[in-house]
Amino acid sequence: MTGRRVVITACSAITPIGHTRAEILESLRRGVSGVKPLREDHLLSQYIHSQVFGTVDYPIEYDFKRTYRKTMGPVAYYACQVAKEVLEQSGLTREFMTSGRLGVAFGSTHGSPTVQREIYKTFFGGSRHEFSAIGAVDYLKSMVHTTAVNITRMFGITGRVISSGTACTTSSQSIGYGYEMVKFGMQDAMLCGGADEYDTTTVAVFDNLLACSTAFNDRPQCTPRPFDVNRDGLVVGEGAGALLLEEYEQAKRRGAPILGEVIGFACNNNGGDLILPNLAGITETLRIGLREAALAADQVDFISAHATGTKMGDIIEAQAIHAVYGAGPFVTGLKGYMGHTMSTCGAIETILTLYMMQEGFIAPTLNLEEPDQRCAMIRHTRSLEQRQITTAAIQNFAFGGVNTSLLIKRFA
Amino acid sequence: MTREEITLKILDIFRREFEIVDPGFEDDLRETFGFDSVDAIELLLEIEKLLCLELTHEEKKMAMEIRNIRQIIDYVERMVKKRNL
Repeated sequence: MTGRRVVITACSAITPIGHTRAEILESLRRGVSGVKPLREDHLLSQYIHSQVFGTVDYPIEYDFKRTYRKTMGPVAYYACQVAKEVLEQSGLTREFMTSGRLGVAFGSTHGSPTVQREIYKTFFGGSRHEFSAIGAVDYLKSMVHTTAVNITRMFGITGRVISSGTACTTSSQSIGYGYEMVKFGMQDAMLCGGADEYDTTTVAVFDNLLACSTAFNDRPQCTPRPFDVNRDGLVVGEGAGALLLEEYEQAKRRGAPILGEVIGFACNNNGGDLILPNLAGITETLRIGLREAALAADQVDFISAHATGTKMGDIIEAQAIHAVYGAGPFVTGLKGYMGHTMSTCGAIETILTLYMMQEGFIAPTLNLEEPDQRCAMIRHTRSLEQRQITTAAIQNFAFGGVNTSLLIKRFA
Repeated sequence: MTREEITLKILDIFRREFEIVDPGFEDDLRETFGFDSVDAIELLLEIEKLLCLELTHEEKKMAMEIRNIRQIIDYVERMVKKRNL
C-alpha cells in the first residue's frame, strides 16, 4: 500500500552506554559495555543467579514541575526526559503539539514496578488503614500506559495515543504503528518510543526460565555475548528511547533536519508457543518487512539483530536472517553493549542505527569473539567497519510470539 | 485542635506536599495553582493522616466542592468538631 513518506526528525536515548549522542557513539566506537553488577534491591537481588544488569548509572538532571512529577514513577521520568529532548530538538511549535495532529506511541514492559511493589506491600499488609494509604496517583504511575500519558500531559499533546505493552517489541511496535499513523494520514507526526526502569522482577522471570546470563557475574562487561559460542543468556537492562516521526512534506516545509526515513514495518505473531523463538514466524516477519518497504534483500546493507545472547534465540534468528538475506548485510547485535533493555530495545537500537548511519560506521557485536557454528552463516560485524549504511533493518522479537522488523533508510 | 492550629497544619501540607507556598485564603486553587482532581484526592489522604482518622465516603464527596484554602480549613474544622477531636 502506498502512502505518505515518513521521516525521522529527532531522537534521543537514555542507555547504559550513555545519554548524549556523542557519549553513545564514543561507547560504540571504543567497545564500551554498559553492563554492571546487579544493584541491591532488598527484595529479589540476593536470590537471583544472574548478577549483571545493563545499568544507567549516571545522573540525569530532571527539571519537571511538581504538577507533572506527582503522576510519574521512575519509568515515566525516563520517558518524559527523552520525549522532552526530542520535542526540544524538533523545533515543533506548541501550537502544533496541541493541535491534535501529533500523537504519541509509547510503552513500557509493565508501568512502574517500583510503584507496583509499594502497592503490593499495602495489599499484603492487610489492615484497613494501610489499604487507605494507596495513593490516588499510584495507579497513574504504575499503569501500562503511564509513559504515554505522562508525555501527553506534560506537553499538552492531544492526538492519538497508542501504548503497546508487548514486552521486548513494545517500542519497535511504537515506531511501527507510529509510522503507519503518519503514512496513512491519521496523524502528521508521532512521538514514538519506550522506557523501562531498573527492575529485578524481570530479571527473576528470565532467571527462573534459565534464560539469563550467569557465567560472567565476575566480569559483567563480557556478557551478553550475541552469537558467540560461549553465550549463556540475556542480561536485563534499563533505559529509554524516543523518536519523532513526521510526514515528509511537512518536515521539509518547516526546514526540519531529517535524520532518516522509515520505509517499512512488519509485525506478526508465531501463532503458538508464547516463549520459544519460532523460525517460520520470524522468517515471515523479515519477508513481510522487505515487501512492505518494496525492497529486494540485497538492498539492505545492515541488520540490527534482536540477538539477546540466549542459546536458541540467536540460532533461530541467524537462520531466519540467512534464509531471507543470505550473507549480504552486516549483522550486529547491539545488546552486546548494554544488555536487553526490554520494552525499550527497539527504540534504542533504531536510534543507535541512525547514529551509525549518520556517522558512516558499523559497530561490531561486542563480546562476539568466536561465532557459534550454528550462527556463523551470516555476515557478522566482527570489527568496526568504516562504511556507509544506506538501508537498515531493525529486528525485535518478544514473549508472546510477537515479531517486528523495521526498515529505515539514510536520507540523502 | 483550634482553627489556628488547623490553618498552620493545612498551610504546611500545601508547602510540603504540593509546593504551594503562602496561598491566599480565597484563591481558587485550580485556577491559581493548577490544583487538580489528583491533588484533591491526595489532600484528603493528608487530612486523614493529620487527624488520625478515616473519612467516610460521604465526607469525601462533600470535599469535592472545595475550591480554596478557607473552605479546606472550614471542612477540617467541621470534621474535628464532629468527632470531638
